[in-house]
Amino acid sequence: MATVATPAAQRHLDRLERIWAEREGLTGWLTTTDHKRIGLLYLFASLAFFAAGGVEALLIRTQLLVPNAGVLSPDAYNEVFTMHGVTMVFLFVIPISIGAFGNYLVPLMIGARDMAFPRMNALSFWLFLGSGLFMYVGLFLGNGPDAGWFDYVPLASKQFTPSSGIDFYALGLIFNGVSTTAASINFIVTIFKLRAPGMSLNRMPLFCYAFLAVSFALVFALPPLTAALSFLELDRRLGFHFYDVASGGDPLLWQHLFWIFGHPEVYIIILPAFGIATSIIPTFVRRKMVAFPLVALAEILVAFIGFGVWAHHMFAVGLATITTIYFAAASLIIVIPSGIQLFAWITTIFTGTPRFKTPLLFILGFIVFFIMGGLTGIMFAAIPFDQQTTDTYFVVAHFHFVIFGAAVFPILGGFYYWFPKVTGRMYHEGVGKLSFWLTFAGTAVTFFPMHIVGLLGMPRRQYTYPPDLGWSFLNFLESIGSYVLGAGLVLIVANLAVSLLRGERVGNDPWGGDTLEWSATSPPPAYNYPVIPRVTSPYAMWDRDDRQADARRLERGELTLERGHETPASTVLDAEWDEILEMPSHSWMPVLLAAALAAVFTMLLLGHWVTAGAFSAVAALVLFGWHMQEPQEA
Amino acid sequence: MNGVTRSSEATSAIAAAYAERRRRAMPSGVWGVALLVATEAALFGTVLASYYYLRFDAARWPPAGIEPPDVALPLALTGALVLTSVPVLLATVAARRARVGSAWGLLLLALLAQAGYLAVQILLFKRDLGVFSPRDTAYGSIYFTLLGLHHLHVVVGLLLELGLLVKLLGGLTNYRVIGVRAVAIYWYFVNFMAVLVVLTQLSPSL
Repeated sequence: MATVATPAAQRHLDRLERIWAEREGLTGWLTTTDHKRIGLLYLFASLAFFAAGGVEALLIRTQLLVPNAGVLSPDAYNEVFTMHGVTMVFLFVIPISIGAFGNYLVPLMIGARDMAFPRMNALSFWLFLGSGLFMYVGLFLGNGPDAGWFDYVPLASKQFTPSSGIDFYALGLIFNGVSTTAASINFIVTIFKLRAPGMSLNRMPLFCYAFLAVSFALVFALPPLTAALSFLELDRRLGFHFYDVASGGDPLLWQHLFWIFGHPEVYIIILPAFGIATSIIPTFVRRKMVAFPLVALAEILVAFIGFGVWAHHMFAVGLATITTIYFAAASLIIVIPSGIQLFAWITTIFTGTPRFKTPLLFILGFIVFFIMGGLTGIMFAAIPFDQQTTDTYFVVAHFHFVIFGAAVFPILGGFYYWFPKVTGRMYHEGVGKLSFWLTFAGTAVTFFPMHIVGLLGMPRRQYTYPPDLGWSFLNFLESIGSYVLGAGLVLIVANLAVSLLRGERVGNDPWGGDTLEWSATSPPPAYNYPVIPRVTSPYAMWDRDDRQADARRLERGELTLERGHETPASTVLDAEWDEILEMPSHSWMPVLLAAALAAVFTMLLLGHWVTAGAFSAVAALVLFGWHMQEPQEA
Repeated sequence: MNGVTRSSEATSAIAAAYAERRRRAMPSGVWGVALLVATEAALFGTVLASYYYLRFDAARWPPAGIEPPDVALPLALTGALVLTSVPVLLATVAARRARVGSAWGLLLLALLAQAGYLAVQILLFKRDLGVFSPRDTAYGSIYFTLLGLHHLHVVVGLLLELGLLVKLLGGLTNYRVIGVRAVAIYWYFVNFMAVLVVLTQLSPSL
């Protein structure tokens, strides 16, 4: 958009500003349906959980700093490593990538003014916050879950873990799953229906392809987890026998159901990172992504094949040989779409003209760790190797390279990349680079030696180790690495926090970015775009003529949609303009509904079945109230 | 944009019907419920798969002391439930053509039939609970969980219809027409799942 608006354009801007004005203060945040504010709520909440999970990680590493340390008791250690895993997977990586990055950026990138279901979007956030607090209340009451993040039965059964920690875990994750399912459905419909006119599917940014793939994966992966957790609660609370061999049940049923969720989950965690990488790379190497259609297909294939590999987590449990061979082969196949993306990123960087700013450095770090974590991943597909290393620190090393090195590094790079868009200010480049090198070195030093202690035989989840096994120096090194890593992360937060107040003010597009969000003002107004953009390629910002045409339309008041909270809807494949949708504005219903559901889950935990039923009735009434306000009448 | 309808203007039955005719793609609400149904189908799929997983582990299914289920009544009930898809379908056709009275009547007809179905099913559920318990065997656990899950979906469907009937008293709007279409899709799904559930439930006797 033009930086100085003509009087004609200004009239339209003023009108849109009035229509889209949000409420002030706390009420504004509680009732907001603006995808950007919800994205920020997700960001701050998931960062708080990240801090909690980080403290847990540092506690684990401090306990393992030296042999026979007494920082944590064995029981406390079990709770801490369980909550570390649960927090990082369910309360940090997924909500920050999908909730924060997805919410803030997907509507901007497709040229929409909001998500398809703005109130459900708010509901997703409040449910997520409720579920996270629910599980942490358990921990602070001394009832944290302590059977590991995959919570195998029979250890997690009533007989062997009578305390209510497992119930907090099971109910909390069902609760969390409702939130994530609602968010995924919202993303799919938003991407299918609200793309700017002209943005046919083949012109959609790769970032959105990644989010589309993740959302579909979540829609199909979460139900098996919900079923597994419901069976577990029925066993524990009502005396059912799903997992009890003596009465005809089977503990392996839990493992199958958990990993039918759990392996797609790995790709769910990493696909948004792929999406961020494909956004950052073209901008900083000044060229379009190599093999755009192949990368888009590979993103979707990864999500799809991810459903067929779950039993490679179970090679050591004694499944039939033919079964394990099938899953080993399927696990090898997934290398192909991953390899396509990897080579596409590397080729794009090599054939471009890279500017090594902080965001690109984080993507390079991501590529390094993804290759290392990916290589050990292929090793696990070899059944005999897997059987030797299962449940050792070799596995811990592998999945931390993948989940921290590969999934979180692009998130950190994304913080720096989109910081100017969200705040209108620039971060400090020198401190940014220093923070990259600290986190990079910290990650390598923390997790690389774990491969070696794993091969030396150190099992995971041990709360301590004796001094004479040759593991002491490597463990010491890992712990030092974790402190360096922690310092790097604190430096990132400090850099962004100080820059928020003192950073240099920059324009809408400091990087020469390729996707539409860079055409909005920084920070974007509540209505995102005063004129609905018309799109003719996946690199909309590099089509200068199109963007100048948008600016001229603003002066003429064309496509400004200023009769209410309006956004265009288009056809699914070709994105031809189909209708103009009136979107809901602020509402109390999402937060009320989330509170009612939180009460339902609390009552289920306490075993007050009738009260839980009563709160379900309240939730149904709130849902009816929700539909009393119809967006087209607002 | 010429020829593009504004949802904010479709607040009467006639205007909503016009918007329905002009719209080329499925509305967001229909997409939303289609995806809800997809995730719910995965949930049913998981529970049905768990049924067969436990069954193929077992030496006898149902275990000794439990009779295989009676076939006739559950099958007849399911047939009746599946037939309620017809008034639900006709109600969507009526709503899309601005005939609010017929839509209301057809939805009420479906609601009454489905409520009758649920009432008989609850009686059967209680009778079964008197004969064998979910707390004794894995067979009982999965049997009652599968049926309970299905009945819960029927309850939710009834509540959705009830809410819709109340809303339709105030006439049709674009929002409510999409609501009728969405609830209809939910019911087609419940009815389809009812067939899979009853065939699984009765599989030891078939």
